[in-house]
Amino acid sequence: MHIPDGFIPITQCIVYYIILIVALYFSVRWARNNLDEKRIPLLAVLAAGIFAIMSMNMPIPFGTSGHMVGGALVAIVFLAPEAAVLVFTVVLLIQALIFGDGGITALGANVLNMAIIGGFVGLYTFKGLKGFVGNYAAAGIGAWLATVMAALACAIEMGIAGTFPMNIGIPSMVLYHFFIGIIEAVLTVIVLVALDKFRPDLLAWNDESAKGDA
Amino acid sequence: MADITQIIRFDDLASKNSPIHNLEGRIKLISTIFIILVCVVSKELFIPIMFEIILLTILKIANLSYIDSFKRLLMLLPFGGAIIIFQPFIQPGNIIWSYSWLHITDVGLNWGILLLVRLIVSLTAIIIYSSTTPLQEMASSFRKLKMPRDLAMILSIMVRFLFLFVDELAAIRKSQKSRNFNIHSNNTPYKWRVKQVGYTIGMMFLKAYEQGERVHKSMVSRGFSDTSEMFNEKSTPEKSDYIYLISIIIIAIILEIIIIKYSGQLGYLGQNLAIN
Repeated sequence: MHIPDGFIPITQCIVYYIILIVALYFSVRWARNNLDEKRIPLLAVLAAGIFAIMSMNMPIPFGTSGHMVGGALVAIVFLAPEAAVLVFTVVLLIQALIFGDGGITALGANVLNMAIIGGFVGLYTFKGLKGFVGNYAAAGIGAWLATVMAALACAIEMGIAGTFPMNIGIPSMVLYHFFIGIIEAVLTVIVLVALDKFRPDLLAWNDESAKGDA
Repeated sequence: MADITQIIRFDDLASKNSPIHNLEGRIKLISTIFIILVCVVSKELFIPIMFEIILLTILKIANLSYIDSFKRLLMLLPFGGAIIIFQPFIQPGNIIWSYSWLHITDVGLNWGILLLVRLIVSLTAIIIYSSTTPLQEMASSFRKLKMPRDLAMILSIMVRFLFLFVDELAAIRKSQKSRNFNIHSNNTPYKWRVKQVGYTIGMMFLKAYEQGERVHKSMVSRGFSDTSEMFNEKSTPEKSDYIYLISIIIIAIILEIIIIKYSGQLGYLGQNLAIN
């Protein structure tokens, strides 16, 4: 899902960079208002952890392997897509500069797909469904939908760029990530269960329910 | 995604000594982004190919191994390569080869070649940059180039802790290997394997969060507050740094002039191959 350099025309890259700058402005403001001075070390070390998590292979049937993205997971843990934007901007920047995994010119598009769309879709699906199906199922569906929507956005961007026709790109990307998304969902739920068991204070949804009880 | 345990090797490479290693961090970052930008906007093969030749020369000056760099390039190509390989078959144009329902068009083939060349040049530029610039220098370059304060601090602290998690990941892999754990092994139930990976990711996430809290406490105990600024070691680019950057810009301008004036004489290299 990491778009490399040269696949999107520079004018479209500029549009995605503008979206990234606006998203970063709101994310930094959110972090200042909600995470006090702890925000910098916390998000920084979390970004390093996410970097490591993204390089862990996850088993996908038919002998292939993929990796977890985690945009929805970060957004759900903090109950804020802004956290995903901050963490993934630095993660994707370093990935592009060290590994060439995703392009420098395509950074705006990659953050848009994996953090902005992934974070928003994951979190708001979770928020919309948790009252009906419970926290974990809602988080799982959110993570699955976030993966599929991020892949859809990637296919649309490549289509607009003229690099890959949408009539082939959308079905193939969505179908592939339909399955990848299931694993992403399962892993997101397992991580959330583990966090809820060992450090429930880290999950923002527990803060919300505590406020609700009070 | 690339194997992040390689990051230690890249940082070792970046700490060596050569005229390219010794260039100022900002100059290396700006010149890398500039070369990538020039190649991304090029619609002809001429400019990217010329820059690839220049980059291969820079690779030599930086005392980097051609074989190792080529291997790294091959490892990175599949990400974009998968999209490029379909181009001759999916883009409309004049059919130059067909077998049953399979067609190769001239437009698709040309576009695929242009994308491949752009990708190779961008990746070569990144390989040189990451092999000659330690991670801390990268973060400090962004700070000096006025990246927003919060983001620059997150980046600087992140790269410092990256190595800790790389070690952690290597230890996890070693312990899994010593227990014959294999994510593709059918000797264990699929559900169990997914669960184990999930627990490992959960543990890593938890460790990252708790480490973040510990780092915060240790920073506060050393006087960190919301108004703290990161220390920027003063370094001004030297004459040689400016010469390097200006040379690259001048080369780009000369190549652009050649394309404008003599594209007809350059044959295939001067043809517009872009479709967007």
